[in-house]
Amino acid sequence: MVAADSRASMGGYISSQSVKKIIEINPYMLGTMAGGAADCQFWHRNLGIKCRLHALANKRRISVSGASKLLANMLYSYRGMGLSVGTMIAGWDETGPGLYYVDNEGGRLKGDRFSVGSGSPYAYGVLDSGYKYDMSVEETSELARRSIYHATFRDGASGGVASVYHVGPEGWTKLSGDDVEELHYHYYPVAPAIAEQVMEEATAE
Amino acid sequence: MSIFEYNGSAVVAMVGKNCFAIASDRRLGVQLQTIATDFQRISKIHDHLFIGLSGLATDVQTLYQRLVFRHKLYQLREERDMKPETFASLVSAILYEKRFGPFLCQPVIAGLGDDNKPFICTMDSIGAKELAKDFVVSGTASESLYGACEAMYKPDMEAEELFETISQALLSSVDRDCLSGWGGHVYVVTPNEVKERILKGRMD
Repeated sequence: MVAADSRASMGGYISSQSVKKIIEINPYMLGTMAGGAADCQFWHRNLGIKCRLHALANKRRISVSGASKLLANMLYSYRGMGLSVGTMIAGWDETGPGLYYVDNEGGRLKGDRFSVGSGSPYAYGVLDSGYKYDMSVEETSELARRSIYHATFRDGASGGVASVYHVGPEGWTKLSGDDVEELHYHYYPVAPAIAEQVMEEATAE
Repeated sequence: MSIFEYNGSAVVAMVGKNCFAIASDRRLGVQLQTIATDFQRISKIHDHLFIGLSGLATDVQTLYQRLVFRHKLYQLREERDMKPETFASLVSAILYEKRFGPFLCQPVIAGLGDDNKPFICTMDSIGAKELAKDFVVSGTASESLYGACEAMYKPDMEAEELFETISQALLSSVDRDCLSGWGGHVYVVTPNEVKERILKGRMD
């Protein structure tokens, strides 16, 4: 399950509330964007090109492990030049589901769950306390949505729309895209305040 | 990030027909992290005089306490409330006293003066007064607020229409600022009553 918010900010200014942070590398692999938008968009597209070339050269799809390694090696060669990329590569290959974290330092980690970005500590709190290895698709997508919502509430640089994608054996599908304002009032409805004293019209005598 | 952007804030005041409205956001943050969503930035000095302070939250609270103190002393001596113009001069003087180690806030003052004529003004952190006939803004979202107010403002609006206008201007501006928002607080003041309202806004 992959989820992301959709806010882009330049310092304090919100430049967009509708950025696609989940990048579709190919029909069975997704990448997430955190850090510099241009860097993430370019390098993910570049990765998509390399994956396609690999499939053409080897007559079979690249594994998630291989794709993430290609990206990590490419970013390592630009180490120290100021690229800002914090991404997760999620996909499905012959060995089953794969999730890797890759960053601009050239680091690459395999794991069951990750959270990346300025809002990641808040998302980790919700994600870690609600996570179990065997959860249904509905439970997992709700956990992912909640994690993103809580990150948008506490972090100033996160907001907009919480998108949730599911990655399965047949590839990825988009499950939902909810505006976090609606999620807030859905999770925490505003109870109408009961007035302690109600002023009434004075009757004429 | 500059020290004025440490906590994040947005304050706006608008003039209507024999009334005024003053509004602020409700977020208190430490840089990008949101700590509270019910921070009071606008304070009452007396029934027809309000001050909204943007900038560093600790100075917002301290400056408010000092101004209330000074106004209470004035009330004891003069046996009446301060006029808004006088209060603005007082705030300006208090800020300039700290010229070389200033309070890191920008006040927005709004009040009803003689004959219930609305008065608004804003100041920088060392007391430079700026009077306006229509609206004044302050805070991290000030540039967006200028744009929104300029577009939405009309002179001589009644209290209800003024409330709508100032609320829309505030909410649309803070939605373009990472550091302010998480709800809104609006006071609409007419000669007979003060209406305080909390706005439901985006909480991201």
